[in-house]
Amino acid sequence: MALEVLLAVMALKELGLKIAAAAFGSILLLYFWVSTREVKGNYVTLQRSEMPWLYDGIAEMARKAGIPMPRIYILDDYIPNAYSFKNTIVLSLGLFEVLDREEILAVAAHELGHIKNGDTKVFPVLAYGRYLMMVFTGILILLAHRPSVTLAALLLYGLYEVARANFLKGREFLADESALRLLDVPMSLKHALEELKYYEDLRADVRLSAVPSIEPSIERRQKVPRIETHPSYDERIFRILVEIHGNNMFNQRMMQ
Amino acid sequence: MEPHEFKLTEEGIKAVLPPLEAEIMEHMWKVQVATAGQVYEYMKVKHPDIRRSTISILMNRLCERGLLKRSVEKGRGGMRYVYSITTTREEFEEKVVQSILDALMTNFKEATYAYLSRIKK
Repeated sequence: MALEVLLAVMALKELGLKIAAAAFGSILLLYFWVSTREVKGNYVTLQRSEMPWLYDGIAEMARKAGIPMPRIYILDDYIPNAYSFKNTIVLSLGLFEVLDREEILAVAAHELGHIKNGDTKVFPVLAYGRYLMMVFTGILILLAHRPSVTLAALLLYGLYEVARANFLKGREFLADESALRLLDVPMSLKHALEELKYYEDLRADVRLSAVPSIEPSIERRQKVPRIETHPSYDERIFRILVEIHGNNMFNQRMMQ
Repeated sequence: MEPHEFKLTEEGIKAVLPPLEAEIMEHMWKVQVATAGQVYEYMKVKHPDIRRSTISILMNRLCERGLLKRSVEKGRGGMRYVYSITTTREEFEEKVVQSILDALMTNFKEATYAYLSRIKK
């Protein structure tokens, strides 16, 4: 990204710097505005009395991780999903249909891993940094009017996208590793991922074989080819097994 | 829910629904209300290899077909989805017969009438 700014300055001199500053400022504003936004969809804040096993399980792991107890939102969505932002974990109700208690705690542990590793602070910045890059590249190309600049800008943008995807994948693996250390039963993370992979594959199959009138054709839009920011389930499962078996030499307790 | 297919070689509800969904509906018509977990426990007896994901996805399919409806229930054990039937078994069977006879009347009018009057006798 710094390279692009350099390119801008070379191409447009003072104007380039001014544009860079303006883009940066507007993205910063966006960041603060959007940080006050709430979760999309119907959700409820979990009270301990509703699911003590979940609440206590997460509390124990948060304590182990050395972070304050996060807020837990239960989302009314039948598709199993989980994510985290700031100091909050969101778990969809679909998760409770598909996974057992140990596996749900494993998914929660992964999200706790993100919070512990500071990802919930870094990711929003990264997201807006991305908009900044896109806008900046666009403006640069428009104003410089030189094919060499256009080419260089596009190349730099491409490199940025790849670097960003690799960075995000790395954070997912890190969150998995953190989760393994927080869990009483580390293998439950592997089981959770296997079940979620099975769900995803089955859902894709069922959709394909559905009678046309039941599934609206809008849903079956073409998947836009793009760089994956999430590692595949298989990759994650493989790494978890390596991690667990690697540690197994010293600690038999990990396997159950 | 409008049935779209009728498999002549299948028995009962399996003529209109895929086999696992048919089994789930037979059970749901008996119990009226159930969670995916309860249906999973029931289906596991006959299909030991079945997974929770399969049940969850199929019950969602049945919701999309209009045979079941999903609601959120707060009970001991926490919040979870609860599924209930939208029509009785009899109403569903009536609809199936209606759809098929309508289709037959539309496409094979004379043959249908002839056969029906023969059965009546």
